[in-house]
Amino acid sequence: MVGLMRQIGVVVTIVVLLFVTLFPVLWTLLSSFKTLKDIVTPVPTLLFEPTWQNYAAVLATPSVQHGLANSAIVVGCSLAVGMLLGIPAAHALARHAPRVKGDVLFYVLSLRFMPPVAIAIPFIVIYAGLGINDTRFSLILTYCLTTISTIIWLGVPAFEQVPREIEEAATLEGYTQFEVFRKVALPVAIPSLIGAVLFTFVIVWNELLIALSLTSQNFTLPVVAASFTTMGMEVPWGIINASTILLALPPFLFIGFIMRFLNRFFGAGAR
Amino acid sequence: MHPPPNTAAPRSRFAMLALGPPLALLVLMSLPPTIGALLLAFRNLTLMSPTSRWVGFANFARMLTDHRLHNALQISLLWEVVTVAGSMVVAVLLGVLIFERVGGRARDLVCLALILPILLPRVSAGLIWRFMYSPLMGVVNYPVQLLGLPPVEYLSRPSTALYAVAVVDVWQWGLFFAVIVLKLLETLPASPLEAARLDHASTWGVHWFISLPMLRAPLITMIFIKAVESLRSFDLIYTMTNGGPGIATETLDLYAYQTGIGMSGRISYAAAMSVLLLILSTLAFSFLWKRSQRWSD
Repeated sequence: MVGLMRQIGVVVTIVVLLFVTLFPVLWTLLSSFKTLKDIVTPVPTLLFEPTWQNYAAVLATPSVQHGLANSAIVVGCSLAVGMLLGIPAAHALARHAPRVKGDVLFYVLSLRFMPPVAIAIPFIVIYAGLGINDTRFSLILTYCLTTISTIIWLGVPAFEQVPREIEEAATLEGYTQFEVFRKVALPVAIPSLIGAVLFTFVIVWNELLIALSLTSQNFTLPVVAASFTTMGMEVPWGIINASTILLALPPFLFIGFIMRFLNRFFGAGAR
Repeated sequence: MHPPPNTAAPRSRFAMLALGPPLALLVLMSLPPTIGALLLAFRNLTLMSPTSRWVGFANFARMLTDHRLHNALQISLLWEVVTVAGSMVVAVLLGVLIFERVGGRARDLVCLALILPILLPRVSAGLIWRFMYSPLMGVVNYPVQLLGLPPVEYLSRPSTALYAVAVVDVWQWGLFFAVIVLKLLETLPASPLEAARLDHASTWGVHWFISLPMLRAPLITMIFIKAVESLRSFDLIYTMTNGGPGIATETLDLYAYQTGIGMSGRISYAAAMSVLLLILSTLAFSFLWKRSQRWSD
């Protein structure tokens, strides 16, 4: 009897846990298909006639289209630079620089200590001085700080998990250091690296403060989404819900990859 | 033509080529804002005036009497403590619960659900919860109203606003960390836990006295990471309350943003604040990181 009660207790707890975890997102998804009349009710409506008008309205908004394009370009470019520079650096740190590895990793981590506002304020002045303020280029440059350092930080353990023996064997075969990296280590480490890159993608795609501070014309999607709440008298909740879902969609697409990355990252060795 | 059979040169060349450019770029991008913030902090630049002059320590002197800044420091500190402690408690409790009671396929599905909130952009998470907290149509208030009570304005009461925002932070980070704690528990060898169970230790006793102490090092690292990430409170607070009501949820980065960019455009004073923030966080985190490395050994 006690066992049964306990079993029921566990099931109830897990159901409550899943409810608290998922309900906010599902509720927003549901509300994004409601008309404002169905949203603004004291009693939450579960049955309603779904409408696409919120998404249509959001996608037809020029600032959303502009923000979407800017986000894609800025995140894409800074991620590309981060991969190009960060992945070889992670391999070099993992294999060829034992003496500086600790210091470099700490330096890379310490960049994350810098409050974004402390980066943004001087950069406003610096970029204005260089004549590149409010451009995609200056935003890409600033985001590279995040992408390069995060990819290095997560990439080093990925390369350390590659068995040393196969790299040594390749060296004995006459491979140069670059060939060992390119043809041996990289293919083995790729699954972990994909996770590292996707994590970095999520961080940069979601970033608000720096984009908000450095741009007034070339804003990104988070800036647009955050601005919806401050416009007009009547808060357009349908549109806010639709833009919330739209903004969250790209990170959600990668949830499976990220889960596998976590399993690989923590499940190494045991199990 | 064959290269000379000197293995040392190409070896170091690869490492130099791979490490040089990224580190140069990182230094190039991280030093100017640091130095720039310092230089700005000693001037009186505003967005309105194109010229500025050296004012020495005037900006820093002003901080001493700026009550709004003192409030922001307190709020930042409270935010750090509440979100770090909240996330870690939730993570450990849920991680152990799932480890003990949920197995197989269900465990994978629960994990997948738990990492969903952390992937949400802070802006999305903020808007989602702001919608749910809404006193008139929010679902959080629906049960309250069913009981015949007046709706609670969670985000517009100074006493609840900060905690209402912190709930969202813990919802994102605590649930994500629960998955990490679970993964860490899965890597532990089973035998010490089995032995303790044979000695009739309670389930929670086993974890409190045996498995969690074994995971001390990664748990300390997690606390550290959460402390660093909690400092990036801006995106969430900006979307949910914008520092309000009044200045009840105004953290240091929010105040610096409002001073320098948002409202008043006093760039130099904001730079001085960000220098303060930079020094405080770099000192605190460097110290904690070195300490945590030592505790972990």
